[in-house]
Amino acid sequence: MPDNLMLLMALLSNVVGMGWLALAMEVHWKQVRGRTPRGNSTVLGLRALGALALTVSLVLCLKVDHPSMAALVWVMALAGAALVIAFTLAWRAQWLAILLARRPARARV
Amino acid sequence: MFQNFRLAMAWVHTWFGLVLGFVLMVVFFFGSLSVFDREIDRWAIPESRFEPQPMPSFDRILKPVFESMQPSPESVAAMRPRVDGPMPEHFDTPVRWGAYTTHRDPVLGVFAGYQVPNAKDPEELVWGNRTIDPRTGESLPDDHLKIGSQFFYPLHYSLNFHWKDLGYWIVGLAALIMLVALVSGVVMHRKLFRELFTFRPGKSSQRRILDLHNLTGVVALPFHFMFAFTGLVIFAGMYFPVTHTQLEPLHDLHEIIEAEETGLPHERAGVAAPIASVDAMVAEAQRRWASKDMAGDVGFLAVQHVGDANSYVSGYRAGTDRIALTGEGIHFNGSTGEVIREDPVPSAVENIGEFLTGLHLQHFRHWLLRWLYVLGGLAGCVCIATGFLFFVKKRKRQHAQKGVSGARTVEALAVTTVTGMLIATLGILIANRLLPANLPARGDWEQYCFWAVWALAMAHAFWRSGPVSAVRTAPAWIEQCRAVAVLAVSAVALNWITTGDHLWRTLSAGYWPVAGVDLALLGSAVLALWAARQLKRRDRRAARAADESAAGEVVHA
Repeated sequence: MPDNLMLLMALLSNVVGMGWLALAMEVHWKQVRGRTPRGNSTVLGLRALGALALTVSLVLCLKVDHPSMAALVWVMALAGAALVIAFTLAWRAQWLAILLARRPARARV
Repeated sequence: MFQNFRLAMAWVHTWFGLVLGFVLMVVFFFGSLSVFDREIDRWAIPESRFEPQPMPSFDRILKPVFESMQPSPESVAAMRPRVDGPMPEHFDTPVRWGAYTTHRDPVLGVFAGYQVPNAKDPEELVWGNRTIDPRTGESLPDDHLKIGSQFFYPLHYSLNFHWKDLGYWIVGLAALIMLVALVSGVVMHRKLFRELFTFRPGKSSQRRILDLHNLTGVVALPFHFMFAFTGLVIFAGMYFPVTHTQLEPLHDLHEIIEAEETGLPHERAGVAAPIASVDAMVAEAQRRWASKDMAGDVGFLAVQHVGDANSYVSGYRAGTDRIALTGEGIHFNGSTGEVIREDPVPSAVENIGEFLTGLHLQHFRHWLLRWLYVLGGLAGCVCIATGFLFFVKKRKRQHAQKGVSGARTVEALAVTTVTGMLIATLGILIANRLLPANLPARGDWEQYCFWAVWALAMAHAFWRSGPVSAVRTAPAWIEQCRAVAVLAVSAVALNWITTGDHLWRTLSAGYWPVAGVDLALLGSAVLALWAARQLKRRDRRAARAADESAAGEVVHA
């Protein structure tokens, strides 16, 4: 795979991972799913998925660059991904429903 | 004094942050621009708009350039008080020649240091610098300012305030306070992880601003921390100058012992000897790097004890593909061309040191990481600016009622350091395109324009931040946003008119350094217009609400 594509996947993987970690938090879950209750297993599952996605991103970064550089790329990409998720939650929270394999609802509950 | 630790931290965060925040704003913003310093240089010096070049041939190009050089008049003047007797007209004994380049440099900066006869400290040299076109060896005019690497970049670490090196010390103090502000901010925040993704634009303006302050501070916390810390590490030698104060004898002795160990002569032999082919030495260095599976270009090339039998040539591999700036130094006997020494593999401590400075100075080739650094730097700017705004919002009404001008002054200073700084930055770019090409000391004039425009923006900020009403925004914000938009578009237009390099041409030729600066300027213009519109709309809404509540009070009366 070309390096640029791998880096792009690493960025995406970080955004998705941060999204799952956010959905594991009650306040953000409510923003996306309203009053739909969620079980403990859902929370744990989302956290695990989030952690996995961030790890995949780190592995991709390490495949492209020398470890010293890959670490910097990954940490900085985490910051960018967290900003993307925070702003999505602020203005278009419904879009994150995609990460729960659901179609985004039209209006917010 | 304080009821608990958290309140004490809040006090430290608020007041130290306020005072040094203005410095930090400059440091963060110009640091972000410095990520693309060499690209800004090319925008500012149209003669340098060609592709980056590798280190040129020493024998054909560099040697004649070095031989024709002399120390700069500024360096000679600065040395004068430290010499017994008069200064010579001509400096005949070059001690050191050097050239440094990266994968982003079309033009090459070279320097030469010369022995000064009768100097009180015989080790002190006078220096000359030159910028050349490495394809031909022709010099570029000295008074054309490389706005990126000679103005924005030093502004980032020294505020370009060189009197008694005070600028470095102020920035160092600000970096220290930055670390304090990060720690105290984390203590105050409490919900570091619980509110990691929290930004509530629909809430009250104080809440909204604080959310953004926390968000930009926390998500980029590793960046903020590492950059403040590594910045201090880079200048540690200046902040703790022990090697040239208390420990000077030890330092000098160490130099001599080190020279014995490495075989690189510490002193001149006093016997003249011509220099062998340096190109052959460079070829040998590259062969050795390639044999270690580290093929690469020369980043730094230096000759020590020029013209002497003890001369030696050092070639360092450019750190394009790693964090360290340069490495794998190989040293040659200058007159015979034999290898004296290959630098050993760096120790763990050296590696950590190089990683810390290299990650900050970023001479590597990684465009994604470069942009991520810009993102981190701008997040820092937002964090600091929202800190000011929160300070103002919290006190505005109270201060207006009491008739105190504190909040107003802080708001005017915030305007000066946010939009005013942008206006000054655009001011120097516009001056760069408008001043006549043959104006003597052109670079100095560009700098005067920068400071003059910033002073004007400051005057405007104080003039137009009158407390129209305790709840309303200073009109200076809206007006300066519009000014930013107009100036940014003008800079792009002037680049087109004066050089013919319009966006269509630079984009179709794939000449990203100039196209990128133009696109960033246009992007800033759009953002500034959008911000002005939002502020205007919000201001109108606030005014209407104020009218209604006033009308309500009349009815009640």
